[in-house]
Amino acid sequence: MKALENEKLTKQNHERLQIEAAQRDTARFAELYENNFERVYAYIARRVGSREAAQDLTADVFHQALANLPRFEWRGLPFIAWLLGIAANLLSDRWQRSVRRQEVVADDLERVGTEDDIEQRAMLYQLVETLPEDQRRVIILRFVAQKSLREIAADLGRSDGAIKQLQLRALQNLRERIRSSHG
Amino acid sequence: MANILLANELDDAIELLIAKRDSSSRSVDLDLGELLGIAAQLRLLPDPEFKATLKRQLLGPTPTPVALPRDVIQPPRQARSGRRDANRDEILPTLFGAGDGTYPVRRGNFAISAAIHVMLIAVVVIGGVWMARQPKIRPHTTSVLLTDIGAYPLPVASEKGGGGGGGGDRDKLSESKGSLPRFAREQITPPAVVVRNEQPKLPEEPTIVGPPELTVPPSSQTGNPISAILGPPSNGTGAGGGIGNGVGGGIGSGDSPGFGPGHGGGTGGGFYRVGGGVSAPRAIYEPDPEYSEEARRAKYQGTVLLWVVVGADGKPRDIHVQRTLGLGLDEKAIAAVEQWRFEPSMKDGHPVAVQVNIEVTFRLY
Repeated sequence: MKALENEKLTKQNHERLQIEAAQRDTARFAELYENNFERVYAYIARRVGSREAAQDLTADVFHQALANLPRFEWRGLPFIAWLLGIAANLLSDRWQRSVRRQEVVADDLERVGTEDDIEQRAMLYQLVETLPEDQRRVIILRFVAQKSLREIAADLGRSDGAIKQLQLRALQNLRERIRSSHG
Repeated sequence: MANILLANELDDAIELLIAKRDSSSRSVDLDLGELLGIAAQLRLLPDPEFKATLKRQLLGPTPTPVALPRDVIQPPRQARSGRRDANRDEILPTLFGAGDGTYPVRRGNFAISAAIHVMLIAVVVIGGVWMARQPKIRPHTTSVLLTDIGAYPLPVASEKGGGGGGGGDRDKLSESKGSLPRFAREQITPPAVVVRNEQPKLPEEPTIVGPPELTVPPSSQTGNPISAILGPPSNGTGAGGGIGNGVGGGIGSGDSPGFGPGHGGGTGGGFYRVGGGVSAPRAIYEPDPEYSEEARRAKYQGTVLLWVVVGADGKPRDIHVQRTLGLGLDEKAIAAVEQWRFEPSMKDGHPVAVQVNIEVTFRLY
């Protein structure tokens, strides 16, 4: 228990140092960006339900965060809380401005995930980056580009069956890694 | 073999998932279900190129557009427009501190905002003070019923005065000189110099209409006191009985059973005047006149004096302008007074018509 608290404190201190470094030199913002990108994106994507909108808002969040970083004051909360605060404001603005609120129908509100759900999604997005290259490419083309297996096979010069197997192994890999990360 | 079947089944389910068709009704085993759950979460997987592009935008000195496969990459909005950069100072801070620290704060903007507010408040205050000191010119009219006309010397009328009476029996000679008969409130028998009916069935003293208390010197000969003809006796060239060249049962050139020129009862012409037993009429409905547009534009002010007869029925008539003002105000005054209603003048318990003056004042302030 104490070890966990120490680890948490160490992590907080490390993040604080990262923030102070980024406040002095914006180039050091890269570490904060890499550490928090998936969480911010998952938080927004869960609420807007569209990749394009989620990417736009995620970009806005990080632009605002970088612009306001000199005024950021450390109050003991994780940096992601500040980022998610910005995201929540932007989502609120977006919904208020939106004439057609199709993205905020009741179903979407019900689907807004819990903190665990967001963490799990963020971890899944990070795990995709750790897949073997051929599996990662199939996942990207299949879910981001939304291509059919035949199109992917043509792009990669492989057979349909091979692509199906790569897709299956990629998802199995992701499942195993999620399980192992949960202990 | 089982692996191939699982891969095929998984791909079919993912196809439905991507097409956003409902696949929940399908019965799948636990293994496939777990994989589909992961696949469902991957539907919103961020584009890796987007993450890299955004990082370059944030941290690079000059963001360079990245050639991205059109069918794979949807670059972030900033990359598409190229107009927005990391400096988002145009974002205003949220109200009530909800976004405290989220948005940039420019002290200069607050100063400008405060200055604008001060100027607006100053404009409102100064404008209010100025308006208070420069009141809008509003027309105001007052109307006064003048029952004492002594202070108002009226001009001499170009025509004969009212009142009085006249008569005659169409004789070829003008009426002869004589004294007036007795004044009475009502006339039953008109006076005559030449009596045509010597033996009337109901003899009655000849009278003329006028104040009964008015006495005239007795004389043996009835006639018109102002006639220059002493004889031969004549009732005059008028008609309707009486004496004179008028019409009616009186004496003189008028058309009533009184004495003198004009019409109505009494002597000397005209209507009753207030005083001497004649009560003043009392206005019971006196709407104010309107201001004429010309006079309002010219900021013209003044008083119109009206000559009015208030009838026994309480309605004004025979309205004349005694003192004119012009610019349409005379007409406005007449139009207003025409609508007035009076409690009529009383004489000996009877309503009588009287002549009064009404002063209508037009004023701008």
